[in-house]
Amino acid sequence: MKRWSDHHRLWFYRVLTLITTAILVHMLAVWAAPRLIMQVLMHGPIAQTMNMQNQAAFPPPVTAAARTVVMPSPDLLYSVCAYDVTTGPVRVSANPNLKSYWSIALYAANSDNYFVINDRKADGKPVDLWLVSEGGTSSARPIPADARVVVSPSKTGFLLMRVLTGDYESEKAVIEPARRTLACTPA
Amino acid sequence: MVQTVQVGAWKGNLLAGSPDADMYTRATIALNALLALGRDETMYFIASQDDAGHPLRSHCSYRVEGVPPNARWWSVTAYADDMFLFDAPNKHYSLNGTTARLDATGRFVFTTGGHELPNTHWLPTPGYRGMVLTLRLYNPEPELQAAPASLIPPTIKAVGACL
Repeated sequence: MKRWSDHHRLWFYRVLTLITTAILVHMLAVWAAPRLIMQVLMHGPIAQTMNMQNQAAFPPPVTAAARTVVMPSPDLLYSVCAYDVTTGPVRVSANPNLKSYWSIALYAANSDNYFVINDRKADGKPVDLWLVSEGGTSSARPIPADARVVVSPSKTGFLLMRVLTGDYESEKAVIEPARRTLACTPA
Repeated sequence: MVQTVQVGAWKGNLLAGSPDADMYTRATIALNALLALGRDETMYFIASQDDAGHPLRSHCSYRVEGVPPNARWWSVTAYADDMFLFDAPNKHYSLNGTTARLDATGRFVFTTGGHELPNTHWLPTPGYRGMVLTLRLYNPEPELQAAPASLIPPTIKAVGACL
C-alpha cells in the first residue's frame, strides 16, 4: 500500500481543519442566532426606548410602520416586558377580564415559548405568577406558599401579552384598560 | 418526529415556539416568526405560492377562498417578503374570524393585489415584490392539533394576467 508523502499529509490535515472549522462556525451561528435576536429584542435601542426592563410596556397597535418583530399580527394588541430573575423573582399579574381571547406567553433567552396562559386557562381569575430562575427561589421577600411559581429556563426572558382586537378603534375603550392591568415587577 | 406539514399551498412547522425544537428550527423561527406560540395555543401556516405552484407576487391579484378552520379564532394576513405588513391604504391587513363575511355555503373569500376586485374583501399588497400569506389558528381544536394535515386549506388562485 502506497504511503502518503508529508506533503499530502499536510494538505489532508489542512482540509480537515478547514472543514471542521466551517462546521463548527456554522453550528455556532445557528445556535447563536435566536439568542442574539432575543438580546436585541430585550435590550436593544427600541427596548430601551420602551422602558420595559422588569416592567410592563404597552406599544401602540400594529400597523405597517411596526418593524420591530417580524410577522406582527394586526389583529392583536401586544404588551411586553423584558424580565430578569437574576437577583430574585419577578411577579407577573394581570386581570384583563375580557370575554375575547388573550394570552400571556413567556419566552426564554433562546426564544423558546416555555409557558402560556390564556383567558380559558385563567377561567376568569386574575393571573398571578412568580417567575424564578432554575434553583433560585430565594429573595428578600419569601414567595407565598399558595403562589403559582413558574421557573424560567434562563435568567432573562421576554413576556408577550396578546389581546385580540378585531377593530381597535371601536374596542379601545375596553381593551386598553384591560391590557394595562398587566404588571411585571421584581417581587 | 414530523416537523413540517403541507396542506394545499400552506406549510406549517409543528415545532414553532416549542422547547422541543431543534436548533435549526429554532433559528428559522427566530428569523421568520419570532415569538411564535406552541401548537396547542396557536398553529401557523404560511403560503408563499399559489395553488398552481407559482410564487406569490404583490402586484398580482389572488382570490383566496375557504371555510373557517376548526379553531376558536383565525386570521389570514398578507406580508411582504421581508415578513412585515404592506402599507395598505385601507388599513386592511388581514381577514379574520371577526371580519369575515361567510356566504350561504359558509365560505369566506378575499382578494389580494394592487387593485381592488369587486364584491370581495380586499387586502392591498402594493409594490412589486414577493409576498406570503399567513394563516393563524388560535386555540385550534384538539383533532386539528393532533392531525394538522386534516386542515381544509384555503385555496389561492391567481386572477387575471399578472403584469
